[in-house]
Amino acid sequence: MQLFKTPNIKFLKYKYIALAVTGVIVLAGILNITVFKGLKLGVDFGEGTLLRVMLTTSSDEGQVRDLLGSAGLGKSQVQSSGKTGREFQIRAMQTVSTKASEEDQLEAHEALADKIIAAIRGDDGKDELARGLIDLNVIDEAGLSRLFESAFPGSGPDAAHRVIAYRNEAGIIANFKDLDGLGLKPEALAFLKDKAFLGKMTILSRETVGPQVGADLRRKAVQATIWSLIGMLIYIALRFKLEFGVAAIFTLAQDVLITMSVYSFTNREINLPIIAGILTIVGFSTNDTIVIFDRVRENQKTMRGKPLEEVMNISLNQCLARTIITSGTVFATVLSLFLFGGEVINDFAFLMLIGTIEGVYSTIYLSCPVVLFWQKWFKPKNARRR
Amino acid sequence: MKKNLQWKVILTVAIIAGAIILAYPFNDTKVRRGLDLKGGIHLVLQVLTDDSINMETDLEVSRLEDLLKKNTITFQKVTKEGLGRIAVQGTLADEEGKTRDLFGQYSRDWDYGFTGDRANLTLKPLTAQLLRDQSVDQALQTIDNRINSYGVTEPLIQKQGKDKIVVELPGVDDPERVKELIKVTAVLEWKLVKAGPAADEATLLQATNGQLPDDAEILRGDPNRGQGGVYLVNKVAVVTGKDLRTIRRTQDEWNNPAVSFTLNSEGGARFEQVTGDNIGKQIAIILDKKVQSAPGIEARIDRTQGGVIQGRFTAEEADDLVVILKAGALPAGIRYLEERTIGPALGADSVRQGLIAGLVAVLAVMTFMVIFYKLSGLNAVIALLLNVLLLFGALAYFKATLTLPGIAGIILAIGMAVDANVLIFERIKEEAALGKGVMSSISQGFSRAFTAIFDSNLTTIISAIFLFQFGTGPIRGYAVTLTISLVANLFTAVFVSHLLFDLTVKKTAKKLSI
Repeated sequence: MQLFKTPNIKFLKYKYIALAVTGVIVLAGILNITVFKGLKLGVDFGEGTLLRVMLTTSSDEGQVRDLLGSAGLGKSQVQSSGKTGREFQIRAMQTVSTKASEEDQLEAHEALADKIIAAIRGDDGKDELARGLIDLNVIDEAGLSRLFESAFPGSGPDAAHRVIAYRNEAGIIANFKDLDGLGLKPEALAFLKDKAFLGKMTILSRETVGPQVGADLRRKAVQATIWSLIGMLIYIALRFKLEFGVAAIFTLAQDVLITMSVYSFTNREINLPIIAGILTIVGFSTNDTIVIFDRVRENQKTMRGKPLEEVMNISLNQCLARTIITSGTVFATVLSLFLFGGEVINDFAFLMLIGTIEGVYSTIYLSCPVVLFWQKWFKPKNARRR
Repeated sequence: MKKNLQWKVILTVAIIAGAIILAYPFNDTKVRRGLDLKGGIHLVLQVLTDDSINMETDLEVSRLEDLLKKNTITFQKVTKEGLGRIAVQGTLADEEGKTRDLFGQYSRDWDYGFTGDRANLTLKPLTAQLLRDQSVDQALQTIDNRINSYGVTEPLIQKQGKDKIVVELPGVDDPERVKELIKVTAVLEWKLVKAGPAADEATLLQATNGQLPDDAEILRGDPNRGQGGVYLVNKVAVVTGKDLRTIRRTQDEWNNPAVSFTLNSEGGARFEQVTGDNIGKQIAIILDKKVQSAPGIEARIDRTQGGVIQGRFTAEEADDLVVILKAGALPAGIRYLEERTIGPALGADSVRQGLIAGLVAVLAVMTFMVIFYKLSGLNAVIALLLNVLLLFGALAYFKATLTLPGIAGIILAIGMAVDANVLIFERIKEEAALGKGVMSSISQGFSRAFTAIFDSNLTTIISAIFLFQFGTGPIRGYAVTLTISLVANLFTAVFVSHLLFDLTVKKTAKKLSI
């Protein structure tokens, strides 16, 4: 099957317009990051505490915020996640004196997390606990196993495993009816209803980062990025020419800046998986750039005398079918992750959606122009001879 | 089959078989899932290495006092001036030479200088560094012992940077208990009680007119053990945790959880003598400078008999105490810098949804490749599947952990694998369009596309290696899967795919299914 006959589009004719557009986006992004909104650093990079909780009934951000507000925790950021309206992310930071020791600050964040949990839970389950019932949404497998074992010796571990496995899968047990299909004996179910109750909340995850680690992680991420850029620059300069390496780095910078800008505008949070996402975008974009550069390198040998700009246009056109197919398939993959991949991967997929398109664009309208300008400015004679 | 194809086939089959053997049966035991996919606790803690320097300084102070006394050098006092700094005051000028000789002989780890009637000693930087490193290594070992006896499957305990330790415990979701278990310094001592328990220090020191005796110290009771008040105890311990021979959980006479111990021969002898000499007095059992209990000595305790530590323990607390005492004391204090608890529910959810979405996407891409490139597309699909198989084999071999960022790395690699095939096929089409024969288009297509594939894969591998070298946990996970997949990609998309063409396309073929 053939996508189309090799076209003859003068891509680089529009390089000045494209550069202007890119410039505006990047500039707006930088302004937004530095002057206005700033970047929302996740708990991976900033200090603080991050809770993910799940409730038995659906609620909304406002209600959760009210619960926290009435407990004096109004500064916490609440975000609904997932589609059920039952999952929430809560981020908060406890400011203590900067003179306090690292551990005291971490402990303060921890205590804050406890307070948040208590505030959301409210009076729920207090009566039941007072009557000696256990919360089926809190107890661990070993504890539940002991409980079953006290009434049904020999079958405790198995029954407990079934219940906890179901809870892990579903996130929370909302109703005793949910346990019907698990193959528990009727008397075991009745026993459970008698001895346990269903608390309104489970804690899916709880993360606390002290100030030193936050700074440390930021520094390491920057360091790792800079070194890997230098490594790439050297390799490309050796295999191609210095200006190609420089162009690749420029392209990379643009990829990162534009995605960061989009993040800043859409108010999404930067965490470590997102860093992995940015690296992935950069990876795809570099791949794209090198494929084009490879074609340019090859064509330069056979098309001596033609100006570089024309050689680049020809190369871009020759590779167009490949570019469309490859980025099309990647885009489709990422779209599926974005739509069906679930909450945790959603941010990552969103980033990749922007990245795949941006990567192709940056190859055509940044990688190539940079090489062109470099040759124009630094090697006027060379350029004319070719 | 052509001769040169034969060894290519053998090589390919051998590599595939190797990957299957390594990765079989494709479950958790072979490829570990990270905490973000599985749930568990992630802790970063810092070893307070200053403690070890402090201890060394204290030790040196008492050694110097002994040394100077033994050699009859007159001095006023030896004082600790700070971390790794000691001053000997009142050194006589005419004995400076002799003192110098002594220092040179016995305090080799210390630099020294004399000013007036003072001698100043500072710990040599190299020795200090060595002590710090040792304390981190020892702490790592001790924590490792504790976690292992606590019974966590596949814990990860690693040094990070100079003085940090990362602890990852999959499947554990009780961070408070684990944090306590790791953190207690666990210095266990038995000391004779001089007075107490009393409500406050003033009452305690009434007998000695408010003066603290030189050979005694004041310790508090551990409120967790139901011990209020303060005790005046001997500075010198009768026995310590180092003298323990066996230790296990037991029950006291009221069936409450307690911990029983026996002592080694040296400690047992001392214990026997001291208890025999002090019948009627109390002996305090002290953990980390807090009195756990202070039972009265009713009779001489035989050296082989041992004893019981009581203290209103819960069953869990008694178990943990056994674990901690068995693993030994920490050489320095620690503090927590970071802690993350991921519930198993979050992991299960993200794995399932991500997996389904990923599978759907990969299937869609494969279907597209077959529809668009027909039989040649099938080639690409086989190469792609092989790539994933090799990745899992390699992950199992390197005992690497699969994390969410790691999956991001795989996605990039699969994208680049598809790209490699597309590059080759489009190139073959171009060559065919120039009027070349089937076989020549194939070989030209592969060799022309190869430089692009090689350069782009290698560039990415180079950047991934640097990310691995300088990055932290999750970024390293990304770098590992990416590097492995890309190396596999160079093999599958170029070598195996070419081999498949050679094996399936007849030399006389007029048209290629592409």
